[in-house]
Formats: sequence, structure tokens, C-alpha cells
Amino acid sequence: MRVLKITAMAALLVMAASVAFAGPTYDRVMSTKVIKAGLSNQGIPFGFINDKNEWVGFDVDMATEIAKRLGCKLEKVVVNNNTRISFVQTNPPKVDMVLSNMTHKRVRDEKIDFSITYFFDGQKFLAKKGTVKDAKDLANMKVGSMQGTTSIVNATAYLKELGNANPQVTGYDGEVAMFEALRSGRVQAITTDSTILLGYAAKVPGQFELVGDFISDEPYGIGLPQDDSAWRDTINFTIQDIWKDGTYLKIYDKWFGANSQYPFPLTSKIEMWP
Amino acid sequence: MFKRYLEKIWVQNLALLALTGLVVYYFAFIFEFKYDFDWAVFVVEGQYGHMGHLMLNGINTTLTITLYSAAIALAMGTIFGLARLSSFKPVYWFATCYVELFRNTPLLIQLFFWNFALPYAFPEEIRFKLFDMNFEFWCATVGCGIFTGAFMAEIIRAGIQSIPKGLLEAAYSSGLTFPQTLRKVILPLAFREIIPPLGSEFLNNMKNTSLAMTIGVSELCWSMTEVYSLTYRTFEAFSVATLVYLALSLSIAGILYIVNERLKIMPRDRITPLRRVADILFWPLDFLGRKLEYVFWYFRKSPDQRTVSPFKQFLNRLGKDLTKALKFLFVAAIAYILYMVVMALFHFNWEIIGANFKTLLIWRFPEGDETEFCFGLGGLASSLLMAAISIAGSFLIGLAVGMGRTSKNRVFRIPCLLYIELIRGVPLILVILWFYQAILEFVFKVDVQAFWAATIAMTFFFGAYIAETVRGGIENIPAGQVEAAKASGLTYLQTMRKIILPQALKQMLPALVGMFIAAFKDTSLAYIIGVMELTRAAYAINNRIMIYPFEIYTTVAVLYFVFSYFMSLYAKRLERKLSPETIRIEM
Repeated sequence: MRVLKITAMAALLVMAASVAFAGPTYDRVMSTKVIKAGLSNQGIPFGFINDKNEWVGFDVDMATEIAKRLGCKLEKVVVNNNTRISFVQTNPPKVDMVLSNMTHKRVRDEKIDFSITYFFDGQKFLAKKGTVKDAKDLANMKVGSMQGTTSIVNATAYLKELGNANPQVTGYDGEVAMFEALRSGRVQAITTDSTILLGYAAKVPGQFELVGDFISDEPYGIGLPQDDSAWRDTINFTIQDIWKDGTYLKIYDKWFGANSQYPFPLTSKIEMWP
Repeated sequence: MFKRYLEKIWVQNLALLALTGLVVYYFAFIFEFKYDFDWAVFVVEGQYGHMGHLMLNGINTTLTITLYSAAIALAMGTIFGLARLSSFKPVYWFATCYVELFRNTPLLIQLFFWNFALPYAFPEEIRFKLFDMNFEFWCATVGCGIFTGAFMAEIIRAGIQSIPKGLLEAAYSSGLTFPQTLRKVILPLAFREIIPPLGSEFLNNMKNTSLAMTIGVSELCWSMTEVYSLTYRTFEAFSVATLVYLALSLSIAGILYIVNERLKIMPRDRITPLRRVADILFWPLDFLGRKLEYVFWYFRKSPDQRTVSPFKQFLNRLGKDLTKALKFLFVAAIAYILYMVVMALFHFNWEIIGANFKTLLIWRFPEGDETEFCFGLGGLASSLLMAAISIAGSFLIGLAVGMGRTSKNRVFRIPCLLYIELIRGVPLILVILWFYQAILEFVFKVDVQAFWAATIAMTFFFGAYIAETVRGGIENIPAGQVEAAKASGLTYLQTMRKIILPQALKQMLPALVGMFIAAFKDTSLAYIIGVMELTRAAYAINNRIMIYPFEIYTTVAVLYFVFSYFMSLYAKRLERKLSPETIRIEM
């Protein structure tokens, strides 16, 4: 019986230790010196698990840099396309910021806040080399996308525009399952943000290519808790600082530079406030 | 004084009412929800389409998968259950392999295997044909069917073997032939034994279909996820899905209850009204059975017909030869399958398995960040840890709730009953999501790592199942013992502690080990919230390497299998120790 009691007490202590306190995010982060960041672990090259089982990627580097500049420890929390909004939406938020290749949309902004845009992307299609000569070919293909993203909604609308009244778009559970579907032939094309497509296409070089034009703009923002302007400002200033002293370019080149695995030229600039 | 009042029904009802009132008062006035509900999302057309239609679509798919897979499971279960009783060893071995293999690996891994690895076993043209035929849907349906079929096979075998030897001897010595014994003695008794657990397998099967969401089938759980990720209405989406699952479970349980009522042996003068209803519902079957008796009677054989004419002898010999040929063919087929498996194993890329084996066992422990769970512990180790912690916790819950469930006092019995039925009616995947994304944050206001959230969810989930086992154990103790204890002046708690629980727990031991195995397999569901347990680790490795799904999923299946199988052997040995009398009926 005593052993049981001790175990129960220990369990309670463990639980109590990880209890977070409610309150404005900025104060909490500054007092605990821990930033909890929601990151994807399936989105190559934004957040994924590499050969050494380390969690790396552009978003991971950005989060690490932000934490470093604020003098905090970074605690990484897995989010996926379904949970990335709800995790900052709760009170207290489950994570303090979400960097999960998330497009800044007005609909999403109703629920949570966003930082300034820290990455510029657009949605494209990926298909086997040579199968798509013209964007019109896509109309009657079976297309895969991801559940819980706007890509699936955009794709359905785009295929309808191309003239297919009843497009077949399947929503897979995450990037891996989606790419698997393309690779094994379940679908003839997949669609989401072009950098992710590039990241997965690089896994089997020479087999797949991006086709068609960008069908939408996807400016990425860091998801933040709603109505917490002190915290939002801190994040925005930090992003601008990262850009200003060239660290941003360094991180960008590491993942998307001409010599990297996923070359993707930087076309826009981060918004700067003097 | 106080005690005597508590025995009165109206006091108990009043207390229950007060309890409900307190809970309602707490959540309505004191508790700060910090969440505004908006149920309208299900009835209005939003930016991303009509969410209500999406849910309805999901319910439809769930029902379809459930029905198809139940039919497949019943067929598989019957065939393999009977095959397990065969005296022809290869058939017995084959059936045993099927049952043990599928019972001792998690359904999620099986689904991943069918969905991600199996297609690569076919040449490209066939593969594309398969994918044209709604592959994911059939994958989930057949996968669930095969999984549940293994459990049903075991139930059917156990049911037929449960017939006491004496009854068979009596039947044979009174001159019944084997078909007659089967019809008149074995099957009626076996059905009573088989149907109740078979029914709960149907229920489990319905809940298991929720795993189809992981391979992209748009069933109820998938629709729920879609709704909350498009509208960010977590509570609403969860609640609706939970209610639908509860309604489905309750209707299946209701049907089972009526069937069980029909199977009970009741004296004629004590027939309950429900039994009458059941009798009416089963009238067509009864009628058919009675008419069949005439048919059998018509085709009966008198003893002198049993002498064999030359023509008959020829037929008999032909039949025997045919069986022999069939047996030979079967052995040849098995040998071919074995050969294929061995060749496949031989061609495995063992280097990949070797390189990732340590990762599968412990993930990146101890090199992980200090903010990760236990320095990056994951893989098999965290699965076992999760199962052990949650079973230890749920044992305590189960003990308390199980005792409450058997109590005569409504104040204890009804809340316990509600807890058990509520949890058992909902798929584990939904319980985990509830805990991780809603209950722990909004109700308990704690924020824990995904590992702990999954462990807590599993603790409460298995608590309900263990409570049922405890109840069964307590109710099996002869009532005389309780009366004797009362007569010698022991209080309720003393009776429980000193007399009932020690005996009940001993009987329950095999069931508890079984529960641990189930928990170990179900840790794979923590995959859904990103805990790096064995399944998620395998998924991550497969995600990285991409071209060796066979190797990775087979390794993981073997890991799960080895642990579950040896524990189940242990459970079986315990069971044998506690009840040594079993016999083997052969067919």
C-alpha cells in the first residue's frame, strides 16, 4: 500500500511540474524562459526528422533562432495540419507560437493572430515527369492533397475551373501519406505548397516535376495566440531583426539556396518597420 | 442511523439528484469555460462547404465499413475457428498462425501494412487497377474484418471446446451419431457460450473502424477531424462524433441484450416481458429450426442402412481419396506460401533493419533535448512504459469503479455504470483526442506532454474495461460467502478486502494480463497525437527512407508480436493453473 501511495504522489508531482499557468503569453514566456513552439514533423523541408533522427527544417531553425534571441529554451511540440490552429487557440495556449508552413488567411486570423509574413510560397501541382504537358491535363486526373489544409479546397476549386465538374481530390493524413499516394500511383498528381512538393520530390530525384502555374499565393505567418499584442510585437521585431542582420538569408540558403537540396529562389522581402 | 437512511431508495435518488445538481452548478456557474460554443457550424453552409453533410457522409462510410467488415469477420472467424479444431495438423497450424498473428499485432500496424506495403508486392499494372477500385476503403474494410475475424475464431473455438467431456460421452453412449451430437448437444451449448462475446466483438469492430481515418478513408473520425481543422470548432466536432459513436454502440448493445435474453434458460413461469419481445423477434428463426427438424427426421438413417453396399463403398473410397488429394493440395499451397515468405525474407534489406533497430527500440534516448519526453525516449520502450503506467493506473480505477458497479447502493452504482458505458461506447482514438485536445486543457486546466496525455487517456479508457472484469470477478463469488461474512460481523469494506477481492483478483489475473496486452497494442493509437511510440517511430523512419516499407512494417509487427505473444502465453499458463480441466474436441 505504501509503495502505491508513494507512486501516486510521484505521479502527481510529475503532473504538477508540467502544469502551465494562465496569463498573457509574453509575461509567461519571460518568466519561465521556455518557448513552446508547435512544429510539423512531416513537412520537408520546413520541419521533418532527418537521417540522424533529429528534428530539423527551416521552421525549426527559425523557431530556434527566435528562442535564442529572446534568451529562452525552445520546447518543440508536434502539430499537424489539424491541430496547428487549435493549439494556439486554447486558453492558456498549448504552444506559444506555431511555425508549421501555415498560410496566413483571413479566416484563420479570425481565430488566432499571425506574425508578419516570414516565408513566401504558392500552391502548385507535382506529377510524374512527362505525364502533364499542359495544365488542362490535370482536370481529369485523380489528385491527392492533405486533410485540414486549404490546399485541398483550392485544388478542388481549380480543377472545377479547368472544366471538371466533379473533381476527384483525396485528402490524405499528412505530407507522407500524400506523397506515398503519388509514388505508388494511387493518384496521378498531388498539390500543396510548392516548397513541400520540392522537398518530397527531392527524395527520389528525377522522377517527379512541378507542373502548371502557382494556383494561389501562400504567405506563411507564425501562428500566435489571439489578442496578445505584447507577444505579437516581440515575435515581429525578432523576425525583422533576424532578417536585418542576414541570419534569415543564411537559414534560407541552408534550406532553399541554389546549392541546397530544395532550390527555391527568394523573391520577396520581409516587411520592415523603421 | 445514517447507514439505514442510505439504504432507502428515495434517499439514494435524492443524493443522485443532488450530485447531478452540483455538477451542473459547477460547470454552469463556477467553472470558467473560456470557449464559446457555436453549434450552427453543422447546419449552415460555410466557406469550405456544409459541415453537417460532411459528418453525415462520415457516418454513412462508418456504417458501410462496419457492416462489410463484420460479415467478413464472421466468415473468417467461423472458418478459422473450426479449422483450429481440425485433427489434420497443417490446417490446425495454419489457423493457429492466422489467429495468433493477427491477435497479437495492433490493427493500426496491420492497416499500414495493407495500405503502404502490400501494393508493392504486385506488378505495376495490377497495382494501378487496385488503386482504381477505391483501394483505401477496401483496405480498411478487409483489414478490420481480418483483425476481428481472428478474435472471433478464438471465441468460436473456445465455445465449442467448452462442452464438458461427460456430456459428449453421454451423447455417444446413448447412440447419437456425431452429426446428431453436434446438432443436439454441442451447438446449442456452444452458442450460449459463443454469442455474448461474439456480440461484443461486433461492437469492438464498429469502434475499430475509426482507425480507417489514418489511411485516408473519409469515415466519421476523419470527418470530425476535417470539421475541426476547417472550422476550428474542436468541442462541437468531438461532441457530435462522440454522440454518434455512443448511439451506434448503444444500439448494437441493445440488440445484443435482446439476443442474450433469448439465449437465457428460464423456467416457464418466470419469463420476463423482454424475453417475450425477444421470442417474437426470433420467431422466424425458431420456425425455420422446427421445420428443419422434420427435414432431418425425413433423412434419418436406420441402423441397418449403415451396412455398406459396394456402390456406397466405392463412393466412400472416392470421397476419401478426394479428401487426401485436397489435403495434399493444401499442404502444397502452404509450402508454396512458406517458400514465398522465406524468399521475401531472404531478399529483405537487412541493413536497413539493422541500422534502424535501435531507433525503433528507444528512438533517440538519451540524446534528445531536455524538453522532449524523457530525453527523447520513444519506440518500443515508450510503448511498454505507456502500457505499464496506464494499466497500473487503470487497475486502481477499475477496482474502485468495479466495486461501485456491484454495490447495491444507487449513489455508487449509477455513476459507475455511466462511466463504464460511456467510455466503452467510444473508440479509444476519440478518447485520446478528447483528453489531449479538450478535457485536460479546458476542464482540468493542465497542459501536459502528448505522452502523458495519451497515458492518462488510456488509463481512463482501460479503467472502464478493468471495472467490468472486476465486476465479473466479484459476481462469480458465491453469495453464501458474502452472507457468511455479514453474519460474522464484517463490514462491507472488510468483506471486500478480506474475502471477495483476494479470490476475485486471483481469478481475474489472466484477464488482467490480457488487458495489458491490449493496452500495449493500443499504445499504437498514441500515434495520432504524435507521441513517438513504436508505430510513430516506424512511420517516421518509413517517411525518411520511403522505399523499404515492407522491411520496416514487418520489423515493427514482429516486435509487437513477440511481446504480445509471450505475454499471452503467460496468461494462458496462468489460466490453466487456475482451471486445469479442459478437453479438446476434434472435428
